[in-house]
Amino acid sequence: MTQDHSTLFAEPARLVFEEVTAGYGQNSVLKEISLEIPQGLHVAVVGPNGAGKTTLFKTLVNLLPVWSGRILIHGKPFGQHQDCIAYIPQRGEVDWRFPVTVEDVVMMGRYAKTGMYRRPNTRDHEVVRNCINRLGILPNAGSRINELSGGQQQRIFLARALAQEPHILLMDEPFTGIDFTTQETILEIVDSLREAGVTVMVATHDLNLASEHFDRVILLNHELVAYGKPNEVMTRENIRNAYGNHVMIMDGVAVVDHCCPPGDEMDEL
Amino acid sequence: MIQFLVEPLTYDFIVRGILAAVIVGITCGVIGCYVVLKSLAFMGDALAHAILPGVAVAYLLSFNLLIGALAAALLVALGIGYISRRGDLREDTAIGILFAGSLALGVALISSIRTYAVDLNHILFGNVLGVSNQDLMIVTILAMVVISTILILYRAFLLISFDTILARTLFLPVEALRYLLLVLLALTIVISLQTVGIGLVTALLVTPAASAYLVTRRLPAMMVVSASVGAFSGILGIYLSFYLGVSSGAAIVLVATTIFFLAFLFAPQRGLIWQRRRS
Repeated sequence: MTQDHSTLFAEPARLVFEEVTAGYGQNSVLKEISLEIPQGLHVAVVGPNGAGKTTLFKTLVNLLPVWSGRILIHGKPFGQHQDCIAYIPQRGEVDWRFPVTVEDVVMMGRYAKTGMYRRPNTRDHEVVRNCINRLGILPNAGSRINELSGGQQQRIFLARALAQEPHILLMDEPFTGIDFTTQETILEIVDSLREAGVTVMVATHDLNLASEHFDRVILLNHELVAYGKPNEVMTRENIRNAYGNHVMIMDGVAVVDHCCPPGDEMDEL
Repeated sequence: MIQFLVEPLTYDFIVRGILAAVIVGITCGVIGCYVVLKSLAFMGDALAHAILPGVAVAYLLSFNLLIGALAAALLVALGIGYISRRGDLREDTAIGILFAGSLALGVALISSIRTYAVDLNHILFGNVLGVSNQDLMIVTILAMVVISTILILYRAFLLISFDTILARTLFLPVEALRYLLLVLLALTIVISLQTVGIGLVTALLVTPAASAYLVTRRLPAMMVVSASVGAFSGILGIYLSFYLGVSSGAAIVLVATTIFFLAFLFAPQRGLIWQRRRS
Protein backbone atom coordinates (compact mmCIF):
# COMPACT_ATOMS: atom_id res chain seq x y z
CA MET A 1 0.00 0.00 0.00
CA THR A 2 2.74 2.43 0.93
CA GLN A 3 4.46 3.83 -2.14
CA ASP A 4 7.89 5.26 -2.37
CA HIS A 5 7.59 9.00 -2.54
CA SER A 6 11.26 9.75 -2.15
CA THR A 7 11.28 11.46 -5.57
CA LEU A 8 8.93 14.04 -4.18
CA PHE A 9 11.60 15.18 -1.79
CA ALA A 10 13.20 16.93 -4.74
CA GLU A 11 10.27 19.35 -4.72
CA PRO A 12 10.11 22.22 -2.28
CA ALA A 13 8.52 21.27 1.01
CA ARG A 14 4.91 22.29 1.18
CA LEU A 15 4.28 22.32 4.92
CA VAL A 16 7.01 23.37 7.33
CA PHE A 17 6.99 23.65 11.11
CA GLU A 18 9.92 25.65 12.50
CA GLU A 19 10.33 25.18 16.26
CA VAL A 20 6.60 25.57 16.82
CA THR A 21 5.47 25.90 20.44
CA ALA A 22 1.77 26.21 21.31
CA GLY A 23 -0.69 25.36 24.06
CA TYR A 24 -3.62 26.42 26.23
CA GLY A 25 -3.54 28.99 29.01
CA GLN A 26 -0.22 28.60 30.81
CA ASN A 27 0.54 25.09 29.59
CA SER A 28 2.52 24.50 26.47
CA VAL A 29 1.37 21.30 24.80
CA LEU A 30 3.65 21.35 21.78
CA LYS A 31 7.30 22.09 22.38
CA GLU A 32 9.58 23.24 19.58
CA ILE A 33 8.24 21.00 16.87
CA SER A 34 10.28 21.18 13.67
CA LEU A 35 9.41 19.11 10.62
CA GLU A 36 8.82 19.33 6.88
CA ILE A 37 6.06 17.54 5.01
CA PRO A 38 6.49 17.48 1.21
CA GLN A 39 3.37 17.93 -0.88
CA GLY A 40 1.17 14.90 -1.40
CA LEU A 41 2.45 12.69 1.40
CA HIS A 42 0.03 10.92 3.69
CA VAL A 43 1.11 11.32 7.28
CA ALA A 44 -0.25 9.67 10.41
CA VAL A 45 0.09 11.60 13.65
CA VAL A 46 0.32 9.25 16.62
CA GLY A 47 1.12 9.57 20.28
CA PRO A 48 -0.50 9.05 23.67
CA ASN A 49 -3.63 10.93 24.77
CA GLY A 50 -2.82 14.57 25.44
CA ALA A 51 0.42 14.40 23.44
CA GLY A 52 -0.64 17.36 21.28
CA LYS A 53 -2.09 15.73 18.16
CA THR A 54 -5.18 17.93 18.16
CA THR A 55 -3.12 20.95 19.21
CA LEU A 56 -0.86 20.46 16.20
CA PHE A 57 -3.90 20.57 13.88
CA LYS A 58 -5.44 23.55 15.61
CA THR A 59 -2.33 25.65 15.06
CA LEU A 60 -2.74 24.93 11.35
CA VAL A 61 -6.31 26.20 11.08
CA ASN A 62 -6.38 29.41 13.10
CA LEU A 63 -7.95 27.78 16.18
CA LEU A 64 -4.86 28.24 18.36
CA PRO A 65 -2.10 30.82 18.12
CA VAL A 66 1.49 29.73 17.70
CA TRP A 67 3.47 30.95 20.73
CA SER A 68 6.85 30.84 19.10
CA GLY A 69 8.38 29.46 15.95
CA ARG A 70 6.48 29.60 12.68
CA ILE A 71 4.48 27.59 10.20
CA LEU A 72 5.09 27.90 6.48
CA ILE A 73 2.61 26.68 3.89
CA HIS A 74 3.91 26.52 0.33
CA GLY A 75 6.85 28.53 1.64
CA LYS A 76 4.66 31.41 2.80
CA PRO A 77 3.83 32.34 6.39
CA PHE A 78 0.64 30.97 7.88
CA GLY A 79 -2.49 32.98 7.17
CA GLN A 80 -1.78 33.83 3.55
CA HIS A 81 -3.55 30.74 2.27
CA GLN A 82 -7.04 30.83 3.65
CA ASP A 83 -8.53 28.19 1.44
CA CYS A 84 -5.95 25.47 1.15
CA ILE A 85 -6.38 23.57 4.43
CA ALA A 86 -9.50 21.55 5.26
CA TYR A 87 -9.95 20.38 8.84
CA ILE A 88 -12.29 17.69 10.11
CA PRO A 89 -12.49 17.94 13.91
CA GLN A 90 -12.73 14.93 16.17
CA ARG A 91 -16.41 15.21 16.97
CA GLY A 92 -18.69 17.17 14.74
CA GLU A 93 -19.05 20.12 17.08
CA VAL A 94 -22.01 21.48 15.19
CA ASP A 95 -25.62 22.08 16.11
CA TRP A 96 -27.39 18.99 14.74
CA ARG A 97 -30.86 20.53 15.08
CA PHE A 98 -29.94 23.37 12.73
CA PRO A 99 -32.22 23.58 9.67
CA VAL A 100 -29.63 22.69 7.04
CA THR A 101 -29.57 19.85 4.53
CA VAL A 102 -26.58 17.64 3.72
CA GLU A 103 -26.16 19.64 0.53
CA ASP A 104 -26.14 22.94 2.48
CA VAL A 105 -23.40 21.68 4.80
CA VAL A 106 -21.21 20.42 1.96
CA MET A 107 -21.74 23.74 0.14
CA MET A 108 -20.21 25.46 3.18
CA GLY A 109 -16.95 23.83 2.11
CA ARG A 110 -17.18 25.86 -1.09
CA TYR A 111 -17.30 29.13 0.90
CA ALA A 112 -13.53 28.77 1.04
CA LYS A 113 -13.57 29.34 -2.74
CA THR A 114 -16.64 31.52 -3.26
CA GLY A 115 -16.07 33.77 -0.28
CA MET A 116 -18.96 35.07 1.75
CA TYR A 117 -20.82 36.80 -1.07
CA ARG A 118 -20.45 35.21 -4.53
CA ARG A 119 -23.34 33.00 -5.56
CA PRO A 120 -22.42 29.33 -6.07
CA ASN A 121 -22.05 28.69 -9.81
CA THR A 122 -22.64 25.51 -11.79
CA ARG A 123 -19.19 24.21 -10.96
CA ASP A 124 -19.70 24.74 -7.22
CA HIS A 125 -22.94 22.76 -7.40
CA GLU A 126 -21.21 20.05 -9.47
CA VAL A 127 -18.36 19.71 -6.98
CA VAL A 128 -20.82 19.48 -4.10
CA ARG A 129 -22.94 16.76 -5.78
CA ASN A 130 -19.78 14.92 -6.73
CA CYS A 131 -18.36 14.94 -3.19
CA ILE A 132 -21.67 13.82 -1.70
CA ASN A 133 -21.78 11.02 -4.25
CA ARG A 134 -18.22 9.88 -3.45
CA LEU A 135 -19.25 9.41 0.17
CA GLY A 136 -22.26 7.36 -0.92
CA ILE A 137 -24.86 9.64 0.64
CA LEU A 138 -26.33 11.14 -2.53
CA PRO A 139 -29.81 9.77 -1.76
CA ASN A 140 -29.66 11.83 1.45
CA ALA A 141 -28.45 15.04 -0.20
CA GLY A 142 -31.73 16.83 0.50
CA SER A 143 -32.20 15.44 4.01
CA ARG A 144 -31.90 17.54 7.11
CA ILE A 145 -28.70 16.51 8.86
CA ASN A 146 -30.41 15.22 11.99
CA GLU A 147 -32.24 12.64 9.88
CA LEU A 148 -28.99 10.78 9.12
CA SER A 149 -27.32 7.97 11.07
CA GLY A 150 -24.05 8.46 12.96
CA GLY A 151 -21.84 6.99 10.23
CA GLN A 152 -23.60 9.03 7.55
CA GLN A 153 -23.13 12.18 9.64
CA GLN A 154 -19.37 11.53 9.76
CA ARG A 155 -19.39 11.23 5.97
CA ILE A 156 -20.99 14.67 5.57
CA PHE A 157 -17.90 16.29 7.03
CA LEU A 158 -15.47 14.41 4.82
CA ALA A 159 -17.63 15.37 1.83
CA ARG A 160 -17.47 19.00 2.94
CA ALA A 161 -13.69 18.84 3.34
CA LEU A 162 -13.38 17.39 -0.18
CA ALA A 163 -15.61 20.16 -1.54
CA GLN A 164 -13.05 22.64 -0.22
CA GLU A 165 -10.61 21.11 -2.74
CA PRO A 166 -7.82 21.53 -0.18
CA HIS A 167 -4.10 21.09 -0.70
CA ILE A 168 -3.82 19.83 2.86
CA LEU A 169 -6.46 17.73 4.60
CA LEU A 170 -6.37 17.33 8.38
CA MET A 171 -8.48 14.62 10.03
CA ASP A 172 -8.58 14.28 13.80
CA GLU A 173 -9.36 10.72 14.92
CA PRO A 174 -11.69 10.01 11.98
CA PHE A 175 -11.90 6.31 12.78
CA THR A 176 -13.10 6.65 16.37
CA GLY A 177 -16.63 5.44 16.96
CA ILE A 178 -17.61 4.71 13.37
CA ASP A 179 -18.75 1.51 11.70
CA PHE A 180 -16.40 -0.66 9.66
CA THR A 181 -17.96 0.23 6.28
CA THR A 182 -17.55 3.93 6.93
CA GLN A 183 -13.92 3.38 7.96
CA GLU A 184 -13.25 1.52 4.70
CA THR A 185 -14.98 4.24 2.68
CA ILE A 186 -12.90 6.93 4.38
CA LEU A 187 -9.64 5.00 3.83
CA GLU A 188 -10.46 4.46 0.15
CA ILE A 189 -11.19 8.12 -0.37
CA VAL A 190 -8.05 9.19 1.48
CA ASP A 191 -6.02 6.83 -0.73
CA SER A 192 -7.65 8.25 -3.85
CA LEU A 193 -6.42 11.72 -2.86
CA ARG A 194 -2.88 10.62 -3.75
CA GLU A 195 -3.65 11.16 -7.43
CA ALA A 196 -4.63 14.74 -6.73
CA GLY A 197 -1.43 15.29 -4.75
CA VAL A 198 -3.31 16.26 -1.59
CA THR A 199 -1.25 16.17 1.58
CA VAL A 200 -3.18 14.28 4.26
CA MET A 201 -2.53 14.34 7.99
CA VAL A 202 -4.55 11.96 10.15
CA ALA A 203 -4.38 11.83 13.92
CA THR A 204 -5.06 8.32 15.14
CA HIS A 205 -4.37 6.13 18.13
CA ASP A 206 -4.32 3.03 15.94
CA LEU A 207 -0.58 2.41 15.45
CA ASN A 208 -1.13 -0.51 13.10
CA LEU A 209 -3.44 1.46 10.84
CA ALA A 210 -0.83 4.22 10.86
CA SER A 211 1.92 1.88 9.62
CA GLU A 212 -0.24 0.20 7.01
CA HIS A 213 -1.90 3.12 5.29
CA PHE A 214 0.49 6.06 5.58
CA ASP A 215 3.75 7.16 3.96
CA ARG A 216 5.11 8.88 7.04
CA VAL A 217 4.44 8.78 10.75
CA ILE A 218 4.81 11.63 13.23
CA LEU A 219 5.29 10.24 16.72
CA LEU A 220 4.45 12.95 19.21
CA ASN A 221 4.63 13.33 22.94
CA HIS A 222 4.67 17.12 23.45
CA GLU A 223 8.01 17.04 21.69
CA LEU A 224 8.65 15.36 18.37
CA VAL A 225 9.77 11.84 19.31
CA ALA A 226 10.28 10.61 15.76
CA TYR A 227 9.26 11.43 12.17
CA GLY A 228 9.88 9.32 9.11
CA LYS A 229 8.74 6.20 7.28
CA PRO A 230 6.56 3.89 9.38
CA ASN A 231 9.18 1.15 9.76
CA GLU A 232 11.78 3.69 10.85
CA VAL A 233 9.49 5.39 13.36
CA MET A 234 7.69 2.39 14.82
CA THR A 235 10.63 0.96 16.62
CA ARG A 236 10.35 -0.54 20.05
CA GLU A 237 12.54 2.20 21.45
CA ASN A 238 10.66 5.15 19.91
CA ILE A 239 7.30 3.80 20.95
CA ARG A 240 8.50 3.20 24.48
CA ASN A 241 9.87 6.75 24.55
CA ALA A 242 6.50 8.16 23.56
CA TYR A 243 4.14 5.87 25.42
CA GLY A 244 6.21 4.74 28.40
CA ASN A 245 4.90 1.49 29.77
CA HIS A 246 1.48 1.87 28.23
CA VAL A 247 2.35 -0.09 25.13
CA MET A 248 3.24 -3.69 24.37
CA ILE A 249 4.63 -4.91 21.09
CA MET A 250 3.67 -8.46 20.28
CA ASP A 251 4.68 -10.06 16.98
CA GLY A 252 5.18 -6.66 15.41
CA VAL A 253 1.71 -5.49 16.49
CA ALA A 254 1.63 -2.59 18.90
CA VAL A 255 -1.02 -2.70 21.62
CA VAL A 256 -1.57 0.58 23.45
CA ASP A 257 -3.20 0.79 26.86
CA HIS A 258 -5.47 3.85 26.66
CA CYS A 259 -7.07 3.19 29.99
CA CYS A 260 -5.00 5.35 32.27
CA PRO A 261 -2.90 7.72 30.22
CA PRO A 262 -0.22 9.71 31.97
CA GLY A 263 -0.93 13.43 32.22
CA ASP A 264 -4.54 13.51 31.12
CA GLU A 265 -6.11 15.37 28.21
CA MET A 266 -5.16 18.93 27.38
CA ASP A 267 -6.60 18.60 23.93
CA GLU A 268 -9.85 20.38 24.60
CA LEU A 269 -10.81 23.58 22.84
CA MET B 1 -66.75 41.14 4.18
CA ILE B 2 -65.11 43.87 2.11
CA GLN B 3 -66.72 46.40 4.41
CA PHE B 4 -65.18 44.45 7.33
CA LEU B 5 -61.72 44.69 5.82
CA VAL B 6 -61.90 48.25 4.52
CA GLU B 7 -63.56 50.08 7.37
CA PRO B 8 -60.52 50.21 9.71
CA LEU B 9 -58.38 51.46 6.84
CA THR B 10 -60.36 54.69 6.68
CA TYR B 11 -58.53 55.77 9.82
CA ASP B 12 -55.02 57.08 9.24
CA PHE B 13 -53.72 55.95 12.61
CA ILE B 14 -54.83 52.40 11.90
CA VAL B 15 -53.09 52.37 8.52
CA ARG B 16 -49.90 53.56 10.24
CA GLY B 17 -50.39 50.95 12.92
CA ILE B 18 -50.78 48.15 10.40
CA LEU B 19 -47.71 49.31 8.48
CA ALA B 20 -45.66 49.39 11.69
CA ALA B 21 -46.94 45.98 12.79
CA VAL B 22 -46.09 44.43 9.41
CA ILE B 23 -42.59 45.91 9.33
CA VAL B 24 -41.92 44.85 12.91
CA GLY B 25 -43.42 41.40 12.30
CA ILE B 26 -41.16 40.81 9.31
CA THR B 27 -38.01 42.04 11.08
CA CYS B 28 -38.71 40.05 14.24
CA GLY B 29 -39.52 37.01 12.13
CA VAL B 30 -36.20 37.12 10.30
CA ILE B 31 -33.88 37.77 13.23
CA GLY B 32 -36.06 35.54 15.39
CA CYS B 33 -34.71 32.56 13.44
CA TYR B 34 -31.29 33.19 15.00
CA VAL B 35 -32.90 33.85 18.39
CA VAL B 36 -34.53 30.42 18.24
CA LEU B 37 -31.56 28.57 16.73
CA LYS B 38 -28.95 30.12 19.00
CA SER B 39 -31.13 30.02 22.14
CA LEU B 40 -31.11 33.79 22.54
CA ALA B 41 -34.66 34.07 23.93
CA PHE B 42 -33.47 35.08 27.40
CA MET B 43 -31.09 37.60 25.85
CA GLY B 44 -33.97 39.10 23.84
CA ASP B 45 -36.18 39.39 26.91
CA ALA B 46 -33.33 40.97 28.87
CA LEU B 47 -32.57 43.52 26.15
CA ALA B 48 -36.24 44.45 26.03
CA HIS B 49 -36.37 45.21 29.74
CA ALA B 50 -32.98 46.87 29.75
CA ILE B 51 -34.16 49.68 27.46
CA LEU B 52 -36.46 51.11 30.13
CA PRO B 53 -33.89 53.52 31.66
CA GLY B 54 -33.01 54.74 28.17
CA VAL B 55 -36.66 55.51 27.50
CA ALA B 56 -36.98 57.29 30.84
CA VAL B 57 -33.91 59.44 30.26
CA ALA B 58 -35.09 60.30 26.75
CA TYR B 59 -38.46 61.33 28.19
CA LEU B 60 -36.81 63.52 30.85
CA LEU B 61 -34.64 65.22 28.25
CA SER B 62 -37.56 65.23 25.78
CA PHE B 63 -35.74 63.26 23.09
CA ASN B 64 -37.48 60.81 20.80
CA LEU B 65 -38.10 57.77 23.02
CA LEU B 66 -36.85 55.37 20.34
CA ILE B 67 -33.43 57.01 20.38
CA GLY B 68 -33.13 56.63 24.16
CA ALA B 69 -34.24 53.01 23.89
CA LEU B 70 -31.71 52.37 21.15
CA ALA B 71 -28.81 53.78 23.18
CA ALA B 72 -29.73 51.73 26.25
CA ALA B 73 -30.19 48.51 24.29
CA LEU B 74 -26.85 48.86 22.55
CA LEU B 75 -25.05 49.57 25.83
CA VAL B 76 -26.58 46.54 27.50
CA ALA B 77 -26.00 44.22 24.52
CA LEU B 78 -22.33 45.14 24.39
CA GLY B 79 -22.06 45.02 28.20
CA ILE B 80 -23.43 41.47 28.32
CA GLY B 81 -21.03 40.37 25.60
CA TYR B 82 -18.12 42.02 27.37
CA ILE B 83 -18.79 40.67 30.87
CA SER B 84 -19.34 37.11 29.70
CA ARG B 85 -16.25 37.14 27.45
CA ARG B 86 -13.95 38.72 29.98
CA GLY B 87 -14.74 37.06 33.27
CA ASP B 88 -15.46 33.59 34.50
CA LEU B 89 -19.20 34.27 34.42
CA ARG B 90 -21.51 32.44 32.07
CA GLU B 91 -23.52 34.46 29.63
CA ASP B 92 -26.92 33.83 31.25
CA THR B 93 -25.55 35.12 34.56
CA ALA B 94 -24.23 38.27 32.89
CA ILE B 95 -27.62 38.72 31.25
CA GLY B 96 -29.43 38.28 34.57
CA ILE B 97 -27.30 40.92 36.30
CA LEU B 98 -27.56 43.63 33.64
CA PHE B 99 -31.19 42.89 32.86
CA ALA B 100 -32.41 43.25 36.43
CA GLY B 101 -30.12 46.16 37.26
CA SER B 102 -31.13 48.07 34.17
CA LEU B 103 -34.83 47.42 34.72
CA ALA B 104 -34.52 48.64 38.33
CA LEU B 105 -32.80 51.79 37.13
CA GLY B 106 -35.61 52.32 34.65
CA VAL B 107 -38.32 51.89 37.29
CA ALA B 108 -36.47 54.21 39.68
CA LEU B 109 -36.21 56.93 37.03
CA ILE B 110 -39.80 56.57 35.95
CA SER B 111 -41.19 56.55 39.49
CA SER B 112 -39.62 60.01 39.90
CA ILE B 113 -41.71 61.30 37.00
CA ARG B 114 -45.26 61.57 38.32
CA THR B 115 -47.11 62.28 35.11
CA TYR B 116 -45.67 59.30 33.34
CA ALA B 117 -48.05 56.52 34.32
CA VAL B 118 -50.00 56.34 31.05
CA ASP B 119 -46.91 56.33 28.86
CA LEU B 120 -45.29 53.64 30.99
CA ASN B 121 -48.24 51.42 30.22
CA HIS B 122 -47.61 51.98 26.52
CA ILE B 123 -43.96 51.10 26.88
CA LEU B 124 -44.72 47.92 28.75
CA PHE B 125 -47.52 46.69 26.48
CA GLY B 126 -47.21 48.68 23.28
CA ASN B 127 -49.46 51.20 21.60
CA VAL B 128 -49.28 50.46 17.92
CA LEU B 129 -52.24 52.73 17.17
CA GLY B 130 -50.30 55.69 18.54
CA VAL B 131 -47.47 55.42 16.00
CA SER B 132 -46.56 58.85 14.60
CA ASN B 133 -45.22 59.51 11.12
CA GLN B 134 -41.78 60.14 12.58
CA ASP B 135 -41.92 56.84 14.50
CA LEU B 136 -42.94 55.01 11.36
CA MET B 137 -40.00 56.47 9.49
CA ILE B 138 -37.49 55.46 12.18
CA VAL B 139 -39.01 51.98 12.34
CA THR B 140 -38.76 51.58 8.57
CA ILE B 141 -35.14 52.71 8.40
CA LEU B 142 -33.99 50.50 11.29
CA ALA B 143 -35.89 47.51 9.90
CA MET B 144 -34.17 47.95 6.56
CA VAL B 145 -30.79 48.13 8.27
CA VAL B 146 -31.46 44.92 10.23
CA ILE B 147 -32.88 42.89 7.35
CA SER B 148 -30.31 43.94 4.77
CA THR B 149 -27.43 43.22 7.17
CA ILE B 150 -28.80 39.74 7.81
CA LEU B 151 -29.20 39.10 4.09
CA ILE B 152 -25.78 40.46 3.14
CA LEU B 153 -23.98 38.55 5.91
CA TYR B 154 -26.16 35.45 5.48
CA ARG B 155 -23.29 32.97 5.10
CA ALA B 156 -21.19 34.51 7.86
CA PHE B 157 -24.08 34.36 10.36
CA LEU B 158 -24.96 30.85 9.20
CA LEU B 159 -21.38 29.68 9.80
CA ILE B 160 -20.89 31.27 13.23
CA SER B 161 -24.23 29.82 14.34
CA PHE B 162 -23.87 26.35 12.90
CA ASP B 163 -20.16 25.57 12.97
CA THR B 164 -17.81 27.97 14.77
CA ILE B 165 -14.79 25.82 13.96
CA LEU B 166 -15.27 26.12 10.22
CA ALA B 167 -15.95 29.84 10.66
CA ARG B 168 -12.58 30.28 12.40
CA THR B 169 -10.83 28.05 9.89
CA LEU B 170 -12.06 30.39 7.15
CA PHE B 171 -10.72 33.37 9.15
CA LEU B 172 -14.12 34.92 9.84
CA PRO B 173 -14.13 37.51 12.67
CA VAL B 174 -16.35 35.30 14.85
CA GLU B 175 -16.44 37.56 17.93
CA ALA B 176 -17.23 40.70 15.95
CA LEU B 177 -20.03 38.90 14.12
CA ARG B 178 -21.49 37.74 17.44
CA TYR B 179 -21.56 41.32 18.71
CA LEU B 180 -23.11 42.47 15.45
CA LEU B 181 -25.90 39.94 15.82
CA LEU B 182 -26.59 41.24 19.35
CA VAL B 183 -26.64 44.81 18.05
CA LEU B 184 -29.13 43.84 15.33
CA LEU B 185 -31.22 42.12 17.98
CA ALA B 186 -31.16 45.31 20.06
CA LEU B 187 -32.29 47.38 17.04
CA THR B 188 -35.13 44.95 16.39
CA ILE B 189 -36.31 45.13 19.99
CA VAL B 190 -36.31 48.91 19.90
CA ILE B 191 -38.55 49.04 16.84
CA SER B 192 -40.85 46.42 18.39
CA LEU B 193 -41.31 48.61 21.44
CA GLN B 194 -44.30 50.47 20.12
CA THR B 195 -46.16 47.53 18.63
CA VAL B 196 -46.07 44.97 21.43
CA GLY B 197 -44.11 46.64 24.21
CA ILE B 198 -41.36 45.43 26.47
CA GLY B 199 -43.48 42.72 28.06
CA LEU B 200 -44.37 40.89 24.87
CA VAL B 201 -41.51 41.47 22.46
CA THR B 202 -39.99 38.06 23.18
CA ALA B 203 -43.15 36.52 21.76
CA LEU B 204 -42.62 38.23 18.39
CA LEU B 205 -38.97 37.12 18.35
CA VAL B 206 -39.58 33.52 19.29
CA THR B 207 -43.09 32.42 18.32
CA PRO B 208 -43.12 33.00 14.52
CA ALA B 209 -39.60 31.56 14.16
CA ALA B 210 -40.49 28.50 16.24
CA SER B 211 -43.62 27.93 14.12
CA ALA B 212 -41.51 28.24 10.96
CA TYR B 213 -38.90 25.81 12.32
CA LEU B 214 -41.60 23.16 12.61
CA VAL B 215 -42.75 23.39 8.99
CA THR B 216 -39.52 24.01 7.03
CA ARG B 217 -36.28 22.15 6.30
CA ARG B 218 -33.85 24.93 5.44
CA LEU B 219 -32.90 28.26 6.96
CA PRO B 220 -33.94 30.51 4.02
CA ALA B 221 -37.41 28.93 3.98
CA MET B 222 -37.60 29.22 7.75
CA MET B 223 -36.87 32.95 7.49
CA VAL B 224 -39.52 33.53 4.83
CA VAL B 225 -42.21 31.59 6.71
CA SER B 226 -41.27 33.22 10.00
CA ALA B 227 -41.43 36.71 8.50
CA SER B 228 -44.83 35.90 6.94
CA VAL B 229 -46.20 34.62 10.24
CA GLY B 230 -44.93 37.79 11.94
CA ALA B 231 -46.50 40.09 9.33
CA PHE B 232 -49.80 38.18 9.27
CA SER B 233 -50.02 38.24 13.08
CA GLY B 234 -49.52 42.01 12.96
CA ILE B 235 -52.35 42.57 10.46
CA LEU B 236 -54.85 40.16 11.97
CA GLY B 237 -53.98 41.33 15.48
CA ILE B 238 -54.83 44.92 14.65
CA TYR B 239 -58.14 43.96 13.01
CA LEU B 240 -59.05 41.93 16.09
CA SER B 241 -58.02 44.83 18.27
CA PHE B 242 -60.27 47.16 16.21
CA TYR B 243 -63.34 44.95 16.27
CA LEU B 244 -63.05 43.36 19.71
CA GLY B 245 -61.57 46.35 21.51
CA VAL B 246 -58.67 44.40 23.01
CA SER B 247 -55.11 45.69 23.40
CA SER B 248 -53.36 45.60 20.03
CA GLY B 249 -50.05 44.19 21.33
CA ALA B 250 -51.78 41.36 23.12
CA ALA B 251 -53.95 40.60 20.08
CA ILE B 252 -50.87 40.38 17.80
CA VAL B 253 -49.09 38.01 20.17
CA LEU B 254 -52.21 35.85 20.63
CA VAL B 255 -52.55 35.43 16.86
CA ALA B 256 -48.88 34.36 16.64
CA THR B 257 -49.32 31.95 19.54
CA THR B 258 -52.38 30.39 17.88
CA ILE B 259 -50.40 29.89 14.68
CA PHE B 260 -47.62 28.24 16.67
CA PHE B 261 -50.01 25.74 18.25
CA LEU B 262 -51.52 24.95 14.85
CA ALA B 263 -48.00 24.21 13.56
CA PHE B 264 -47.15 22.25 16.68
CA LEU B 265 -50.19 20.04 16.14
CA PHE B 266 -50.45 19.78 12.36
CA ALA B 267 -46.94 20.27 10.95
CA PRO B 268 -46.04 17.51 8.49
CA GLN B 269 -43.54 15.06 10.04
CA ARG B 270 -42.73 17.08 13.15
CA GLY B 271 -46.30 17.88 14.28
CA LEU B 272 -47.91 16.04 17.19
CA ILE B 273 -50.77 14.58 15.12
CA TRP B 274 -48.44 13.41 12.36
CA GLN B 275 -46.20 11.63 14.84
CA ARG B 276 -49.18 10.04 16.60
CA ARG B 277 -50.54 8.66 13.35
CA ARG B 278 -47.20 7.24 12.36
CA SER B 279 -46.58 5.42 15.64
